[in-house]
Amino acid sequence: MNILNLFRYWRTVLTVGQITLTNLMNDGFILFAVFFQPMIIALLALFMLKDKGADYGLFVVVGSGLTGLWSSLLFISGNSINDERWNGTLESLVAVPIPFEVIVFGKNLAHVAQSILSMLVAYVLAALFFGYSLTLSQPFLFVISLALTVFAFVSFGLLIAPIFVMYRSVQQWQNAMEFPVYILAGFLFPILLLPDWTTPLSYILPPYWAAVALHGTSTTTLPLNGILFAWAMMILLSVIDLVVASRLFTYMLYKVRVDATLEME
Amino acid sequence: MDAIEVNHLHRVYRAVIGVIRRSIKEVVAVGDISFAVGQGELFGLLGPNGAGKTTTVKMLTTLLIPTSGDARVGGFDVVKQANEVRKRIGFIFGGERGLYWRLSGNDNLRYFASLYGVDPDISKKRIPALLEMVGLTGRGNEKVGGYSRGMKQRLHVARTLLHDPDILFLDEPTIGLDPVGAREFRQVILDLQSQKKTILLTTHYMFEADMLCNRIAVINQGGVIALDTPSGLKKHVSDLSVVEVETFGAASEAIEKVRALSFVDSVSIEEHDQRQLLMVQTQRGAEAVPEVLAALDGQRLGRVVVREPTLEDAYVRLVGGNA
Repeated sequence: MNILNLFRYWRTVLTVGQITLTNLMNDGFILFAVFFQPMIIALLALFMLKDKGADYGLFVVVGSGLTGLWSSLLFISGNSINDERWNGTLESLVAVPIPFEVIVFGKNLAHVAQSILSMLVAYVLAALFFGYSLTLSQPFLFVISLALTVFAFVSFGLLIAPIFVMYRSVQQWQNAMEFPVYILAGFLFPILLLPDWTTPLSYILPPYWAAVALHGTSTTTLPLNGILFAWAMMILLSVIDLVVASRLFTYMLYKVRVDATLEME
Repeated sequence: MDAIEVNHLHRVYRAVIGVIRRSIKEVVAVGDISFAVGQGELFGLLGPNGAGKTTTVKMLTTLLIPTSGDARVGGFDVVKQANEVRKRIGFIFGGERGLYWRLSGNDNLRYFASLYGVDPDISKKRIPALLEMVGLTGRGNEKVGGYSRGMKQRLHVARTLLHDPDILFLDEPTIGLDPVGAREFRQVILDLQSQKKTILLTTHYMFEADMLCNRIAVINQGGVIALDTPSGLKKHVSDLSVVEVETFGAASEAIEKVRALSFVDSVSIEEHDQRQLLMVQTQRGAEAVPEVLAALDGQRLGRVVVREPTLEDAYVRLVGGNA
């Protein structure tokens, strides 16, 4: 892949991302997943933890924002290819010279970027209605963690979308996959509260390391080497996701053209 | 070099049937199809439903992988060099789907221009020009969901021309359009042909194929059964005349009586609400009228006309007579 192609792909990612955001603005489900659901979770958690101090307020803000990110990734990015099929646009996207995974990457970037608004919603709730004074302990490191979180979530979305297309039995578990990740990734409660056997499961989930990095840089709980380790894990898992996703996309695009499943059956 | 070369293309669909006892059913969509389309030619592919037209177009546009045989589009193999083919082709499948209804016409075009790798500076100029060409000037900022079916079809044309492809595949592009919309669309196709684009068109409307196409392949049951110019195809029925009889709720037994007449080649029926138009192909011409009317005795009849055969009559004869 040469530099010119990379530039062209990046330009496509940005255009796809921008137009996907415009397209999503009128979608009622997106409003629920990005605004209302995190708001409800944040309200519940803030009531439960209201006597625990400002750090817990921030923990809830970041954690409920992560729930919005995960829901968006699971339902919107996970379904992004199937949505195109239902919309009748999948054939048009497969028959363009730009690799299909570049298009899906741009769409996922828009989904994840939009769901960062969940965090902002929770922040406004905590600051305005509960009176928390919310100051990030390491703002610079927090911003880097947030950027890596976006990258890790977009890459993870690229992995699950073709799986949902090819293996419908996996997609049937989509709803059941939402809350366990909230818990396993430690969005709202430390995973130390969970049984030991669940810990390896948490470690292989990019959302867990995102939660570690974001919680660790918004409050003062995590030393620098812990933050760096979480970043490294996010990058490692993202690279693995991208490599596996690339293979999956190649196989999926061959299979749908053999099975004639680009259109709705 | 031909723009499109198709050699013994064959495609089988496999479907799983049954819930407990599962078995695989194979359906041959395209049996053995071969043809070639020259540069700048407007080539028609005609055939009844299920004949394999859309499957053939989808294989040529890299959306389906052939079971066997090969095809080259723009000189490139549709399976091994799919990406090179994609850079050179545009396609439209009939119907309203395939666009983002919550986006404006402009945003749809900007999106697809980006996917075809069109430089943003070029697409900024090309999008208004294409909207003008398809008669959508001033409507580009409206959401596509509010467009009429004809406008959506015309936006599809603009979408498919964004990267200025040399070869176009139009699969039943006028289906569902009102007569005015369909006429405007046919003019767009003629304009594209005048720009030396190679066009492969599938349609169910014979007059459309007759008016537009340089050559036509008629396919049926997965194979090419005739390939000629429209006037060449009409020679298949040059020995025939057509007796058109307007009826109002004619009984099927009466129509079967007409079919059974020894000098009748075939009978096709066009339904128009309460009225039907029986088209009786026969070598006898006007002499056949009394016996045809006798077979329809007791039915409510309208006008009776004897005319020369058209491409549609040739098509009806080719694909198996009675429609």
